[in-house]
Amino acid sequence: MDLFDKLKELREKGLEEIKKASDEKKLDEVRVQLVGRKGELTKILHSLREVAPEDRREVGQRVNELRDLFNKQLDDSKKSLLAAFIAKKMEDERVDVTLPGRRSHVGSKHPINIILDDLEKYFIGMGYTVVQGPEIETDHYCFEMMNLPKDHPARDMQATFYIDDENLLRSQTSGDQARVLEKHDFSKGPLKMVGPGKVYRRDDDDAMHSHQFMQMEGLVVDKHVTMSDLKGTLEMIAKHVFGQDRETRLRPSYFPFTEPSVEMDVSCFNCNGKGCQICKYTGWIEVLGAGMVQPNVLENAGVDSIVYGGFAFGVGLDRFAILKYGIDDIRDFYTNDKRFLEQFRKEED
Amino acid sequence: MLVSYNWLQDFLNLDQDPKDLAEKITRTGVEIASVNHPQEGLKKIVVGHVLDCKAVEGTHLHLTHVDVGEDEPLQIVCGAPNVAAGENVIVALHGARIAGNEKIKKGKIRGMESYGMLCALQEIGFSDSTVPGKYVNGIYVFPEDAEVKPGDDVYQALGMDDYILDFDITPNRADTLSMEGAAYEVGAIVNEKPQIENVVLKEDGPDWTSELDAEVDEKLAPKYYLRKVSGVKIGDSPLWMQRRLWNAGIRPINNVVDVTNYVMLLTGQPMHAYDAKTFKSGKLVVRKAEKGEKLTLLNDKEIELDPNDIIITDGDKPVMMAGVMGGKNSEVENDTTDVILESAVFDGTLVRKAALRHANRTEASSRFEKGINWDNTQKAIDIAALLLRNDASATVNAGEIKATDQTRKPAVVKTTVSYINNVLGTELSSDEMVKILDRLCFETQVDGDQLTVTVPNRRWDIAIPADLVEEVGRIYGYDNLKSTQPLLAETHGGYSEAETKLRRVKKVVEGQGLMEAISYSLTSPEKAVRFTMNPKPLAEVEMPLNSARSAMRQNLMTGLVDAASYNFARKENDLHFFEQGRVYDHDNDTFNEHEHLATLYSGSIFEDNWQHKNEKVDFFYVKGQLEDLFEAIGLDENKIEYKAAEINGMHPTRTAAIYLDGQYIGMIGMIAHAVTMADKALRGSELYGYELDLDAIDATLNKGMTSKPAPKFPAIERDLSILVKKDVTNSEIENVILANAGKYLKNLKVIDVYEGSHIEPGKKSLAYNLTFLNEHDTLTDEVVTKAMNKITEALMNDLEVKIR
Repeated sequence: MDLFDKLKELREKGLEEIKKASDEKKLDEVRVQLVGRKGELTKILHSLREVAPEDRREVGQRVNELRDLFNKQLDDSKKSLLAAFIAKKMEDERVDVTLPGRRSHVGSKHPINIILDDLEKYFIGMGYTVVQGPEIETDHYCFEMMNLPKDHPARDMQATFYIDDENLLRSQTSGDQARVLEKHDFSKGPLKMVGPGKVYRRDDDDAMHSHQFMQMEGLVVDKHVTMSDLKGTLEMIAKHVFGQDRETRLRPSYFPFTEPSVEMDVSCFNCNGKGCQICKYTGWIEVLGAGMVQPNVLENAGVDSIVYGGFAFGVGLDRFAILKYGIDDIRDFYTNDKRFLEQFRKEED
Repeated sequence: MLVSYNWLQDFLNLDQDPKDLAEKITRTGVEIASVNHPQEGLKKIVVGHVLDCKAVEGTHLHLTHVDVGEDEPLQIVCGAPNVAAGENVIVALHGARIAGNEKIKKGKIRGMESYGMLCALQEIGFSDSTVPGKYVNGIYVFPEDAEVKPGDDVYQALGMDDYILDFDITPNRADTLSMEGAAYEVGAIVNEKPQIENVVLKEDGPDWTSELDAEVDEKLAPKYYLRKVSGVKIGDSPLWMQRRLWNAGIRPINNVVDVTNYVMLLTGQPMHAYDAKTFKSGKLVVRKAEKGEKLTLLNDKEIELDPNDIIITDGDKPVMMAGVMGGKNSEVENDTTDVILESAVFDGTLVRKAALRHANRTEASSRFEKGINWDNTQKAIDIAALLLRNDASATVNAGEIKATDQTRKPAVVKTTVSYINNVLGTELSSDEMVKILDRLCFETQVDGDQLTVTVPNRRWDIAIPADLVEEVGRIYGYDNLKSTQPLLAETHGGYSEAETKLRRVKKVVEGQGLMEAISYSLTSPEKAVRFTMNPKPLAEVEMPLNSARSAMRQNLMTGLVDAASYNFARKENDLHFFEQGRVYDHDNDTFNEHEHLATLYSGSIFEDNWQHKNEKVDFFYVKGQLEDLFEAIGLDENKIEYKAAEINGMHPTRTAAIYLDGQYIGMIGMIAHAVTMADKALRGSELYGYELDLDAIDATLNKGMTSKPAPKFPAIERDLSILVKKDVTNSEIENVILANAGKYLKNLKVIDVYEGSHIEPGKKSLAYNLTFLNEHDTLTDEVVTKAMNKITEALMNDLEVKIR
């Protein structure tokens, strides 16, 4: 049998072997046997000396062709074996994607802090500084500096927790105004601040009242701050929190630390002003109190009220949250019921 | 104050829809809390004349025939005790709607046809508190002066066709606590001058002023006027007056008491009527009470007077608590013939405090405390006398006793047109401002930019230029102000540095899946210092609402444990809470506040799942969370030390105190069984948590950072397995390793801890993984082996460790 016949036979046998190899391991054995260093093709090459010199070139060429063929078949076969293997593995690994996932716990912010953070960011964007004052406040800062001398009837409006004659749990964040006014250097620019925090009142807890709640105070003082500026600022807050389509109105009101004093109402978002239980059939919902800083408050803090003036506002954060989220019991904020709090995971500040 | 729209028409020609008017008043002056139209919702309610009435045997019922202005009288069965023939009464006809939207239909009562219902005032919407006493438990009977005839609607006769505006005043606007004051306010708003009438009283009896010697402390009552009327016939007031009273929320009593109330409603001046017999001694004294003095008030409340209460006495005993309420012993009764009227100004602060002290605020005291119009003292007492002559056939004795008679000068306030415009952001001319002030009946003198405004005495709230800004602004209309933004020099807004760090901490723990809680700062003195390593003197409130909320907390954990109890009681046992807030103490005689963070964990790390891959939270899970937090906020963990500690309320063998550079910064551990066992909901549960004093770590937190490239050279890891006595702590072993590892040790991890039967008793085995890295060069095995040898040698020498 000459080499050509041998090659022909090898070709048939080889292709058959490749075809028969049922896994990667067997295929590798076939590869070694056919094209390996000691494989069949190598053997044929080694016997090339026996071939007539004029045929050597052709035999060599045939051997190379056959090697290429085998390699290609081996690679193809390997690929398809791998594909089959993966296909099977994947089939074995199939999961029921409709089964529920393994859940842990997603953090959440307290609803009052969602409102607070939102407002803080809003005011920071408008150039306000966020200021924190003490919750155990002195009568001096909480009341006297705010134009509420002892015996002022408006003190009856806010039943205050006293610790002793001079110290109390602040019933309003307004004391922060006095502290900041005392320190502010107006030669370095206008004063723009918001002061959020906890406040306390001697009210028995019920659906509408809480002995602890959160307020945010705002104060802008400079040489030319007008009530029109206050109006514009309040309208923006109301629309930011309660929606651009809300109407607002200012009503005269009374606070010892502002003159004129106003309260702002927004059109009821439940009935849109037609009148419903939520707005007590008035079409309006009271959202905040504000006014132009009472000159005594400025003078008490050593600020010349002839030169400087400004506006202040106070926001009840619990009230904002109650209105915005339709909460009907203020105590829900402080009982920390998981089922209540976890709803606010969804809410952005 | 409930203001009658119909009554307002005495002063003003109003032609607006009362609801529109109310909206205008709300936007301009005083909030109108509601507008009530009493007849609203009522239908087919007419006057009926009872023709005959007979008792139905064996029942409390009467069978009546009632003329309702139709051809035939109606047969109506009535259960009221006071029904009688000849009365004019309120009839709800078949098809009527009465209060509460209830429908009346003809029907049979005990077999008798009844074609309607005779009504009590409450049944057509009156409140119990305004119905005249004799009609509280029966049907209403029109008085003779009612001028009603059968078939008329009842609404007009009863004043129910009126609109009642509820003036929800702020304390500065006491001037609107009278019809005249309300008329001034509404007049200014609708730009119409109110017709306020003066009164001319002709005395027609003998002079009485020598009968009584009145001694009044001018400081307590700067104005004190008395008049006497004689020959009074006590009876009902005319219906027109009763209507006005009940529409103002006041119950008609008799023609004397009603006059005092009516005059107060009209003028804002509280009045009092004494039976003249009270002062038969010829003496009347206004002074402060003495300790031990007692007085029974008209509402039958017996009070022990306080030395700061102002009282009126007959020279001997108290007969009235000035400005608050009269005494039972000086009350006008059915047999009273002579009446002494008092119109006075009492010190507002003392009246307010007395009313508060005795929990007895009245219409009178609320007016005195906010300030009444000093110019109405005379007018009020004269009108009262005049009305008593009309209503009670009284003779007005000549003369008045004016025991004190100070005058109050109207406030004169100077300001400028430009100031008002600057504050409001308006461009009003001085003419426009003067017009506005004139609408308020303020007199203004103009001198260029300067305005000099004289404010009538009824307006207590105006003393400084800013007060005039408010008047001009509100009458001009806040709706008419522009909406602008402050045009100021640029400011850079933001959080303080401390606040920024707090926010970072909150963000990290929230990211760890914790739910934010907010608890009350006030708690019990016991809980205030539970879970607290070093309790400080408490900050306690003087008058707590209850003993469970009397002291300011010194830890946040107690609030979270309360929250856990609340949730466990509701079967919510997987809790992952945090709270960031303040704690408070009274250390070193100052009140101190510190920002803390506390977390509380219970139940499973994962929610229950079908794969049963659950892991319960435990000490080390929580500690891992804390370590992650420390890393995330840039706290150098090598400076942190955990030491087993005993803290009130915490599990004594599962709790550590945490130190940063030797300073105590917080604690971590399990809530003590003593705490959880004592709470029914928490019994048997394991609660873990930590609490940090954020103020204590604030200074060490990094401010800004510089990045380093990732290491370019490979690290080498080695494991180390040791056997050591049980009581040696991990921290002791780690300290030895760290001290001997050399500078290339980058990371040291505990990878296994074993105590049990496979090793020697009294021993435990631990395994560590050590990572070495040279950031600047390739590390050789040789260097690492040397370091490992040094470590093992030190461990063997210092801690008698066996290397496994």
